Amino acid sequence: MSLVDLMTMATPNFGSREKILAKLCGRELVNCFQCIKCTSGCTALKLLELKPHEIMKLVNLGFVDELVSSDIIWTCATCLKCVQRCPQKASPYHVIVALRNLAVEREAKVPGRYLKAVSQILETGLAEACRKIVTRKMETVDRECLGLPKVSKPKENFQTIFMKAMEERP
Amino acid sequence: MKTAVFWGCCILTDQLGYEMSVRETFPRLGIELADLRESVCCGDPVKSVNDFAANYLGARVLALASQAGLRDLFVPCNRCHFTICEARNIIEQNQKAGQKIKELLKEEELEYNPDIKIWHTINLLHDHIGLEKVKKAVEKPLKNLKMASHVGCQIIRYSDLGRVDAAESPYKLDELIRALGAEAVDYAEKLDCCGSALMHSHLDSALSLSGCKLKALQALNVDGLIVSCPDCGLMFDARQKDTATIVGAKLNVPVLYYTQLLGLTLGIDEKKLGLHLNQSPIEDLLAKISA
Repeated sequence: MSLVDLMTMATPNFGSREKILAKLCGRELVNCFQCIKCTSGCTALKLLELKPHEIMKLVNLGFVDELVSSDIIWTCATCLKCVQRCPQKASPYHVIVALRNLAVEREAKVPGRYLKAVSQILETGLAEACRKIVTRKMETVDRECLGLPKVSKPKENFQTIFMKAMEERP
Repeated sequence: MKTAVFWGCCILTDQLGYEMSVRETFPRLGIELADLRESVCCGDPVKSVNDFAANYLGARVLALASQAGLRDLFVPCNRCHFTICEARNIIEQNQKAGQKIKELLKEEELEYNPDIKIWHTINLLHDHIGLEKVKKAVEKPLKNLKMASHVGCQIIRYSDLGRVDAAESPYKLDELIRALGAEAVDYAEKLDCCGSALMHSHLDSALSLSGCKLKALQALNVDGLIVSCPDCGLMFDARQKDTATIVGAKLNVPVLYYTQLLGLTLGIDEKKLGLHLNQSPIEDLLAKISA
C-alpha cells in the first residue's frame, strides 16, 4: 500500500477516523509531525515493511477503512520502541491496537490465533491450554510430576462477566 | 516480604523451568510467594481484539491480589507485567472506562485496588532484595563465564508507564549476572526484540527475529544467554532449532532463566530448577559451572 496510491484513488472517511480517535483516550495522534523516529527503529520494518509513520499519516488523513482491512496492522511486534521514542507522544503502537480493535468489530481479516486465545480464555481462564512438556532428553512430563501446584480455574460467573467486557466498544 | 504471584499463561502451560526456579530461589532470599486463588489470563492476547476487555482482565488480577490481602504482586512475565500496568494506567486516566471496569469487577465481588505494588523478577531482585544480599547468598560463585542478557521489550518500555529499567540502556539484569560472579557482555543487538508477539500472525518473521539475535550472540562466543521473560525464553530456548532452520545457521546458544542461574549458584539441584526442561544445548555450560 502506498500513500500516493491511496490519496489519488480512495476517499477519506472521517467518521472512521473519529472512531479511532475515540479509542485512543487522550493519546495525541494528531500531533504526529512525521519525524519518522518510529519507523527508523521499528522491529517489523525490515521483515514485514511496517512503517508506523505512514499508518499515522493515513489515519490523520482519514484513510482508516483501508488500514482496517489491510494485513499491515497485524505485522506489529509490539516491542513499544515507537511509543518510547515518539517526541509527540502520538504513540503509533496504540493507534495500531485501535485499528486492530476496529478490524475485529467490522469482522475484517483477523489472524485466527487471536480469536482462538479469546475462546480459550472463556473456556478455561487461560489463553493457552495446559499440555505435556517434553524434556531435553525426550521424556514427557507434566506439572504434577514436576511437583508444581494444580492450575485453578476461575469461578463460574467469570465467563458471563468477561463476555460483557468483550461487548464493550468504546 | 510476602507477595502475591501472578504467573500468566505462558509460564504455567509451557515455561515450567522459570516457575520451578522462582519457587526454589525466592524463598531463600526471604520472599514468600502466595499464588492467587485462580489462574487467569492477564489480557495481553485480548488487547488486539478488544482493548477494554484486556484492561478489565488486567484490573482483575490486581483485584485478586487485593482480595488475598496482599499489597505486593510479583509478575515474572514481561507481557503480563506490561498489560497489568497499562490496565491500571487506563483506569486512572480514563474515568468512563475505569468506572465500567470497577462495576464489572463488583459483579464478581472483586474490588479494584490501585495501591498494589507490581514487581518483576528484575526489580524485585535488583531493587528490593539488592545486589549485596544476592551476592551474600551465593554459595558457589560463577567463574570465567561470559554471559549475555536479554531483558526483552515490554518490561523496559515505555518509560511513562513506569517500567523496571532504563528504556534505552537497561543495566539491572547485567548487574544481577555480575553479582553471581560472571561477566556480563554488552552487544549491539541487546535491545532487539525476540519476535514472540508475531507468532500469532507471522511465524517465519518471528522465528527470523530471534534467529538473527542468536546468530549475533553466537559470533560473540558467549557462554550463555540469560532471559527473564517466558516469551523470550520460549523463542530463544524452546524454538532455537526452528529459528536455526529459518536463518540457515547452526545455532547452539545455551539459554537459561536468570532464576535458574541464580539457583545453581545457591547450590540448588539442577532438576529442582527445571534445567532438564531447557531445550537449548546447556550441558557444556552446566559442566563449566559445576567445575
